[in-house]
Amino acid sequence: MKITINKEEAKFLVRIADTSLILGQRMAEMCSKGPYLEEDIAMSNASLDLFGRAEEMYKIISKIEGNQFSEDDYVFHRNEREYYNIKLVEQPNVDFAWTMVRQYFYDVYAKEVYTQLLQFENSEVKGLAEKVLKEIKYSHSKSKNWLYRLGLGTEESNNRLQIAVDHLLKYVSELFNWDDLDKKYFINCDQIETQWNTEIDSVFEEINIKRKEVPPLSMRDCRDGFHSEHMGHLLSIMQYLPRAYPDAKW
Amino acid sequence: MEKGDKVWEVFIQKKSGLAFKHVGNVHAYDKKMAIHNARDLYTRRGEGRALWVVPTEAIVSVPLDDSDAFFDPADDKVYRHATFYEIPKGVKHL
Repeated sequence: MKITINKEEAKFLVRIADTSLILGQRMAEMCSKGPYLEEDIAMSNASLDLFGRAEEMYKIISKIEGNQFSEDDYVFHRNEREYYNIKLVEQPNVDFAWTMVRQYFYDVYAKEVYTQLLQFENSEVKGLAEKVLKEIKYSHSKSKNWLYRLGLGTEESNNRLQIAVDHLLKYVSELFNWDDLDKKYFINCDQIETQWNTEIDSVFEEINIKRKEVPPLSMRDCRDGFHSEHMGHLLSIMQYLPRAYPDAKW
Repeated sequence: MEKGDKVWEVFIQKKSGLAFKHVGNVHAYDKKMAIHNARDLYTRRGEGRALWVVPTEAIVSVPLDDSDAFFDPADDKVYRHATFYEIPKGVKHL
């Protein structure tokens, strides 16, 4: 099955859906691996929120595309190069600091992205954004709280947070490589970047974390379907069952 | 969890005006973490609109050894129930 996405609006929205989905998959990996029971359950729930967010968006995309493919088709039958999520969210759960930094970086970005979607022309997207923003607001307060705990905790927690930040920052500049599609559908691309930088810089200052200069990565852009080395492995696990057993039903 | 954590009792109010009900407990290091954990564990299915967390150590209970002295004297005093009183005429909805 070759999945195609033709309409411009759908091409734009699939980036947002893919980003939710892949982060959801990463969070789901934390199920049974949390530092303690409460956080373990919280992360699994955060993952379900992200899957739900993605599923609703794929439904909208499917409708825009004339119902050629279902949301499951988009999730399970596209190859790596047909995914358009930001590389940030495919980065692995090396330790809890990585998981939380990745989440926090995403939450700050997503908050502004979905705020702008509130003014999207398609009313279903608008409705979804309204719902999702409440989830993001909570998730953001939680991930931010964890950054303060780790940054201001012990020398060890601060060190590990800094390592996670140093690595994940490499994947941030890509968020703001706006192309024509972004410029067409976002209200104000620059504002997403400015908001992100302002919040991150002020939080880093408070939690004794340095924002080091990041040399540009020699990797091509997610908007053209390029990914880091982790993406293929992630997909192979996520897509294994429906690909091995195409008739499997829930 | 390791040192520094406490157990917090969680109470949920279904809607404004109703009593808060005890639903369970969570581990957490401080108030903020306790309320986050309580929210994530106990309010996923529309259980309520308000949450309390209280450190378990702040709850005072009757020592187990004393329970006979505290509660047994009430066992044979059924007359303390209001059922022995005649309901005056004219009282409705009782």
